[in-house]
Amino acid sequence: MTDRTECMELADLLAEVATGAASGPDRARLLRHLNDCDECRQELEELSRLADEVLLIAPEREPPAAFESAVLDRIIASAPRSHTRRLFTRPALQLAAAAILAMAGAGIVWQATTDDRELAAGYRETLDVADGQYFAAAPVTDDTGAEIGHVFLYDGDPSWVFAVLGPEPAPGDYDVVVQTGDGASTIATCEVETAGCGGGATIDARISAIQDVRLVGPDGTWFTAELASGRSAE
Amino acid sequence: MAAGDIDAAATFVRRFQARVYGLALAVVGAAPDAEEVAQEAFVRAWRHAGNFDPRRGRVSTWLLTITRNVAIDMLRVRRDLPVEPAAVAEMLVGSVDDIDRQAESDHIAAALRSIPKDQAVAVVLAVHFGLTAREISERQEIPLGTAKTRIRTGLARLRSKLEVSRDRSD
Repeated sequence: MTDRTECMELADLLAEVATGAASGPDRARLLRHLNDCDECRQELEELSRLADEVLLIAPEREPPAAFESAVLDRIIASAPRSHTRRLFTRPALQLAAAAILAMAGAGIVWQATTDDRELAAGYRETLDVADGQYFAAAPVTDDTGAEIGHVFLYDGDPSWVFAVLGPEPAPGDYDVVVQTGDGASTIATCEVETAGCGGGATIDARISAIQDVRLVGPDGTWFTAELASGRSAE
Repeated sequence: MAAGDIDAAATFVRRFQARVYGLALAVVGAAPDAEEVAQEAFVRAWRHAGNFDPRRGRVSTWLLTITRNVAIDMLRVRRDLPVEPAAVAEMLVGSVDDIDRQAESDHIAAALRSIPKDQAVAVVLAVHFGLTAREISERQEIPLGTAKTRIRTGLARLRSKLEVSRDRSD
């Protein structure tokens, strides 16, 4: 049921989310509310369409002469790759389904509920948006093992990493550092205030190549999100 | 890839390349980088054409949102790019007659010019450059609350202006 009080509280965030100006936590807060509020969802859609139209004001400029042929070459080159990824996604999902069946135990027939099937279909559609193969998430813990945030990862085209910290860490800028076998790379900054922070970016590496994601504070203090090994389906 | 698909892709690129490249150039500033952004935007658009929903807007705005996203990705990685978002935003919302825009964007440009400039600039900084309200407040040296108000009020006024202009044209 729609909570009108919450609608009023979050009304100011609609324009910020529509234009992309909202912080990660604010955006997450509004998106949670939209799950139960058709009215706010419709308002956000309208504001987002309006914000997208603002992009039209950029002046048109003719690109260099060989632009069209360069684009077509890339489109042709990308076609088989995209096909390969789609084929790959299906076995990966079948493996996941098989794992669920195994967990249910021998002799027990797993019957997916309508909700489960809708969830699975929604997951597939979401992954297909950017040729994705999987989403992953891992808790960020402090040196006592307490959870102070989360890292979300998407393996697709492009792949991305997004880190969210709660209000627990000391205020300041925290670098989001991605560690792979090739070394460490700072991809974003997450500015902790009283309400925590969020920050991330697309990355060139496959998610399966990431060993851990660290949030390094201004004084060198760092927190780690340890990623489960063997996530790669390759 | 079938020959018909290639022809369709060529027509698509030809139709929108000036618009896509223009936006890429406005955001990343340098011609070689803008070309890379524009190429990538077309590749992504073509690959995900099935996701385009005409009920949610025009193909041109859908393509431009992809372009903007690619450009912002580049800005985040390439911090060496000579980009001055505030200056570009002021140019985009300014009353410049020599800017080459298509008719379909005239109404939005006119509406942006009719609202207070600081609000229009705040909206453009968020929409074109992906700046958060906090980043806008830091760059413009204004309180965070002021940046948020400019974005919120600017978008609301923009909406009102466009509704009025649509009512008049009906």
